[in-house]
Amino acid sequence: MTDSAPMLDRGQFSKLFPFHFILDVDMRILDMGSVLARICPKVVPGDDINDHFLMFRLGSEPVKSLSRDFILRQQSTLFVFKSTSTDLMLRCQVLILRDPERYLFLGSPWVRNPTELKALHLVLHDFALHDSTVDLLQLVQLTSTSLHDAKQLSEKLEQRVADRTAELVLANSELSRVMRSKDDFLSAMSHELRTPLNAILGLSESLAEGVYGDMNVKQVKSINTIAESGHHLLALINDLLDIAKIGAGKMELELTNTHVEDVCQASLRLVLELAQKKNLKLALSMDNKSVMLTADERRLKQILVNLLSNAIKFTPEGGSVTLATTCDVESESLMFSVRDTGIGIAAEDLSRLFSPFTQLDSKLSRQYAGTGLGLTLVLRLVEMHGGSVTVESEIGKGSCFTIRIPCKGLDTLIPHNPSGTTTLSEITVTQELPSNTPLILVADDNEINLMTVTDYLRANKLRVIQARDGLEAVKMVREHAPSLVLMDIQMPLMDGLDAIAHLRADDKHTAMPIIALTSRAMVGDRERCMAVGANDYLSKPVNMKQLVKTIHTHLPKNETR
Amino acid sequence: MYGMVNKSVQELVTINFGVDKWEAIKKKAGVTVETFISNESYPDAMTYGLIGAATEVLGMSADEILFAFGEFWVLNTARKDYGDLLSSAGRNMPEFLDYLPTFHTRVALIFPHLKPPRFETSDRQDDRITMHYFSHRPGLSVFVRGLFSGVAKLYDTPAQITQTKFKDKGADHDEFVVTWGAVDQK
Repeated sequence: MTDSAPMLDRGQFSKLFPFHFILDVDMRILDMGSVLARICPKVVPGDDINDHFLMFRLGSEPVKSLSRDFILRQQSTLFVFKSTSTDLMLRCQVLILRDPERYLFLGSPWVRNPTELKALHLVLHDFALHDSTVDLLQLVQLTSTSLHDAKQLSEKLEQRVADRTAELVLANSELSRVMRSKDDFLSAMSHELRTPLNAILGLSESLAEGVYGDMNVKQVKSINTIAESGHHLLALINDLLDIAKIGAGKMELELTNTHVEDVCQASLRLVLELAQKKNLKLALSMDNKSVMLTADERRLKQILVNLLSNAIKFTPEGGSVTLATTCDVESESLMFSVRDTGIGIAAEDLSRLFSPFTQLDSKLSRQYAGTGLGLTLVLRLVEMHGGSVTVESEIGKGSCFTIRIPCKGLDTLIPHNPSGTTTLSEITVTQELPSNTPLILVADDNEINLMTVTDYLRANKLRVIQARDGLEAVKMVREHAPSLVLMDIQMPLMDGLDAIAHLRADDKHTAMPIIALTSRAMVGDRERCMAVGANDYLSKPVNMKQLVKTIHTHLPKNETR
Repeated sequence: MYGMVNKSVQELVTINFGVDKWEAIKKKAGVTVETFISNESYPDAMTYGLIGAATEVLGMSADEILFAFGEFWVLNTARKDYGDLLSSAGRNMPEFLDYLPTFHTRVALIFPHLKPPRFETSDRQDDRITMHYFSHRPGLSVFVRGLFSGVAKLYDTPAQITQTKFKDKGADHDEFVVTWGAVDQK
């Protein structure tokens, strides 16, 4: 081993260890590396090392005097020296040489970043090639530059995010403004369109009723088509107006504790005529008839009527449409399902179903008239109630639209009629109001008017019975002695004027309030009605609030709410 | 290629020709990187694409751009980002060139994925040195000549750089002879 150990001359040794120094037992410097000598020119051979360097020990004060004993005791540890005249710090390993005893310190400057090199008057060349200090410095420098780059990138990205956010906020605000303008426009236009439409509908009705003289069959058919088209247009405008209102955030729900069965029955009655025309079986199925729901009754009915009308529209003759309600105690929600045996919807079309003005097939648009707004409105109204809408459908077999509306307190309900299904024939006028509630007889031959007025009055806590002509009206009054009569004037078999006269001729009914309803609105109508015994007169289309107000004006004091 | 190279191309163009030109070059080269990270590795094709696009957008030859880029790299990018290390790499130009092979060997050890070029020196005399450049990346010899020129300017040392071997003409590497006047090399 000794023979193969390299014998280095002083120059070679200094090249390998340019920062070394050798001490004798008295701590005097015997020799030192070339670079160390250059950067510490005050240090010369023969000087005491303690005159030029302090020794650092981790966690303790500098050891001022390096001694033989200390070196022998600590020879296996790393020595760190600090120059007293420069910023140089040397990290060294000591090797004890014998004969004579000397101490060889092999070291390298302790530098942590490239800027310290300059202060020490060092260049990279001064380090031995094997010294990894230079690698450390290069790593520090490159990493530091990359960190600087990354920071710049981060700042740019932050700025970009801030810019984009500002742009988005601006765009969003502009979009909202445009949306509001659109909704305002729609709303204004709908009102503007409705006004002349009322005239079209009113005059069509008057013409059909022969107010302006008799018409031949073709003329009657034409005027009926005008009226139907007008009603269709009115439905479209109403839907449009509702959607615009929702979009503009101007629709507010009038939430009340609503009796679900009443709403279901009322909704079914409104589509009854449609279903009858197509000979469809219309059914109601409720797993609990006593359930109450916090909802806007009018809007809930609107939702159900929309779904029912759709189901009827797309169900061929002889089919069936069922409205079912189910209490889901677990999710605290009430489900309304409208199931039909109609033409069904292809799976790929389901996603477009709730988009405005969408009828899935242009052929269908021609075959089945519709506003294309119904389902959009349903979805929005359901969402306003905090609910959701789902659809299941199969082509040729039918569809089932289910709305789910949050409903608290279902767990406290007493199970009732768990699988009961009421068919069309059983859907009758249900009166669950107290018997001392005012009873109103509504006499009108127009089914839609009859249903509309009936529903509104019931919603206003009035009991209602119905008659479809003057004769029936007289008969109902004699049988039920209602608190008040709403009498349409143009009716078959016996018109309203004759019916009022008959009733007033009977002493039992002289005090009973009768309000005449007429679409004539002709000069002298009022006087004619009042002359035969009507207490008041309202012209169609009737403002429902005004109607209820008028009713309460005429009801005996002890019968008003 | 090191991100620092692309970053330098960006700085060269934006300082001398403006941000619009740089954006036009990036667009032409199909580069969408916003900020290059110095010691990240980017595809070589990106750097070549940027230089190719620069020749079209700036109306300069590839050699003109590469040479200017080499000088710029030393005098601007390296001085700005690696100034302390650069100034410690040698007290004068010959010392710097002597140290260049070691410098690149150390970089290769620290960041092996960057695949830096290799330099060797030979025929070291008082007024000249022969620099050997080995790289798997083609077409950058003019850039290296620009680097040497930049180093001479950095140390304010008039020097002549002559390429004596050409890899693109069949040699196994590029070779440059750098000659200078009297330099105090103490």
